[in-house]
Amino acid sequence: MEQHSETFLDNASAALKNSAQAERRDVIAAFAPLIRSAAIEGFDEFDNLRKHIKRVRQHSLDHLEYYLGQFEYQAVQNGNHVHFARNSDELNSTVLDICQQHDAKRIAKGKSMVTEETGLNAFLQSAGLEVMETDLGEYIIQQAGETPSHIVAPALHKSADEIRELFQSKHDLGPRELPETVDLVSEARDILREHFLQAEVGIIGANALIAENGYSMLVTNEGNGDLCANLPRVLIVCTTIDRVLPLAQDATAMLRLLVRSATGQAQTCYTSFYSGPRRESDLDGPIETHFVLLDNKRSDILASDYREMLECIRCGACLNHCPIYSSVGGHAYGWVYPGPMGSILTPLLTSLEQSSALPNACTSCGRCAEVCPADIPLPDMLRDLRHEENSQKLSAGRWRLGLKVHAWLARHPKLYHALTGLAISTLHLFGHKRGSFVRLPMAGGWTSQRDFPAPQGKTFMQQHQARLKRIARQQNEH
Amino acid sequence: MSTSARSEIFARLRDINHQASAERIELDRQALGSAPVPKPPASEICEAFLVNVLKNKGSADCVSNRAEAVAAIGHYIYSHFRSHRLVAGNDPRLAAMPWRDAGVLPRFGRLEVGEPVALSFAQLGVVETGAVMTWTGKSNPAANNLLPEHHIVLVDTTDLVPDMEHAWGRIKQEIDQNGPPRGINFIAGPSSTADIEGQLVYGAHGPRKWHVILMGKVPAEALSRARTIAGV
Repeated sequence: MEQHSETFLDNASAALKNSAQAERRDVIAAFAPLIRSAAIEGFDEFDNLRKHIKRVRQHSLDHLEYYLGQFEYQAVQNGNHVHFARNSDELNSTVLDICQQHDAKRIAKGKSMVTEETGLNAFLQSAGLEVMETDLGEYIIQQAGETPSHIVAPALHKSADEIRELFQSKHDLGPRELPETVDLVSEARDILREHFLQAEVGIIGANALIAENGYSMLVTNEGNGDLCANLPRVLIVCTTIDRVLPLAQDATAMLRLLVRSATGQAQTCYTSFYSGPRRESDLDGPIETHFVLLDNKRSDILASDYREMLECIRCGACLNHCPIYSSVGGHAYGWVYPGPMGSILTPLLTSLEQSSALPNACTSCGRCAEVCPADIPLPDMLRDLRHEENSQKLSAGRWRLGLKVHAWLARHPKLYHALTGLAISTLHLFGHKRGSFVRLPMAGGWTSQRDFPAPQGKTFMQQHQARLKRIARQQNEH
Repeated sequence: MSTSARSEIFARLRDINHQASAERIELDRQALGSAPVPKPPASEICEAFLVNVLKNKGSADCVSNRAEAVAAIGHYIYSHFRSHRLVAGNDPRLAAMPWRDAGVLPRFGRLEVGEPVALSFAQLGVVETGAVMTWTGKSNPAANNLLPEHHIVLVDTTDLVPDMEHAWGRIKQEIDQNGPPRGINFIAGPSSTADIEGQLVYGAHGPRKWHVILMGKVPAEALSRARTIAGV
């Protein structure tokens, strides 16, 4: 997928000016955390489950070579073809080869962020194949020529009115009203059902690969992924090497975290495990099945200080709780993965040069780490990436100078306290009557959105020192 | 396949990973134990399962035996479709049911396009999630789960398991005895989507309605108590 992360600030400004989309983002930002909280309420052991899964994921990554080998062996025993791809080009060409071997023209595709990452659709289309996304959200953005704005709900940035207009212009079905959401869903269902029945190849992702039995796990609410996995005569599962878990029960235990964190359910409507091609007793199912397992820098991440990022289960909770994501939306991030997880993954999977604005798209509020079901220290990683940016001189010169001055001052506490004391006294002098500032020099961006509270006296350290003196005096008096 | 891609990826991982014997790795995994399970919404197993089925936006019915099950299925399809026809997988348990007594006309096999109702006999019901589980094969073509407008699922109370860990226990028995099924499908509700403005709509691709019939020794009032707990 083409990357536009380098223009994050411009993308974000443009997004903020689109007031209709900003309003929809506000609504989502208000309800998404509520449904997660409701799903976790009453599950007293949620935190222990989080710790358990973290230990299992760490163990799996510590022995990834072993478990990946075990998975490959089991998957081949189950009748699959297993392919490995070092990068996007290798994944794309492997998938195209399989399609061409079967003389396939029509592809039904389930939601897969990995294939968004590799730009698979465009690659297959350029070879003359008809590729149809079948997840409703993905279908909508494919018809609109857009990219996903959220890893779980890719079309939430669009209004029902926009989708109605889109369907009316793209589907040649004559004049019709499509007044309700249910009518829009119904129309997409009919069109996609036809495609499912004609497609020669189905492509899906996997939420987990199970080493002990060679099954892949697929989690959906719509059932579109299952139709892709069961109706076409060839099935290709595209995922990354880090998705392997040792045991079947590990995959379903992870599910308890994933689904509650993503959609606030105890289980999605469809949780499916696929082992391979049609058996003798089967009345349906693909006759040939493939796994394409992509590295694309995952092994680099495994060898780096950012390895915990591979424990991400792609639930989207960090997006739903991030004030930056909620304000600017997913497209501003300019690549496949937005929000806090995307601000870490994008520099690691592309380059820090191309995405240097992303680690700065953070207020360090820490909500993402609080809600992350994989317990990934996202704010710490973002800070480390900012540190790397500074070391590699990728950030603006004036930022680096400011940081240098601050670092020098922080190492001279007396001067630091004197200067902050002076600043606070000055602000107090000019602002204490009114209580706040509507304008401040060098902080126009901040005060354009809200007032800056005027300090009501002394600094924390001044008050703390005064308190210590007071206590010492009282002790002397006694 | 590019063998160099495979060998390069494995060599890289070997380089990064902790080196340990297979026995050591398996022992380390065992030492991590199992995951905590959420508490069921009721202490009685049938009631807890029914609560979760209802929370998953399924409809539910309880019957004591096969004759009652056939009557309940007949009533359901007639009230929704004014018909006595349905499609069911080639499950010997379904073939042995007294269909004629209720005037139901099942066709055994894979659902064809345009047929509106399918019946499955679940291998398992999972209390933890209110899901039913079928594995693909002669008894359960995948199309019967995915393509009908309404999906009716019969669950025997003796096939209820408390959680996913127990479900895997039963699946492993099947894998050991008959080899791995091609597909294992846990179904927990009608097909749904919230992709348009977050508004929940049923029948995104698969069934618009999902009806679970629990058959066996179900305590009286279990369903009504379940409805109260689930708030439906």
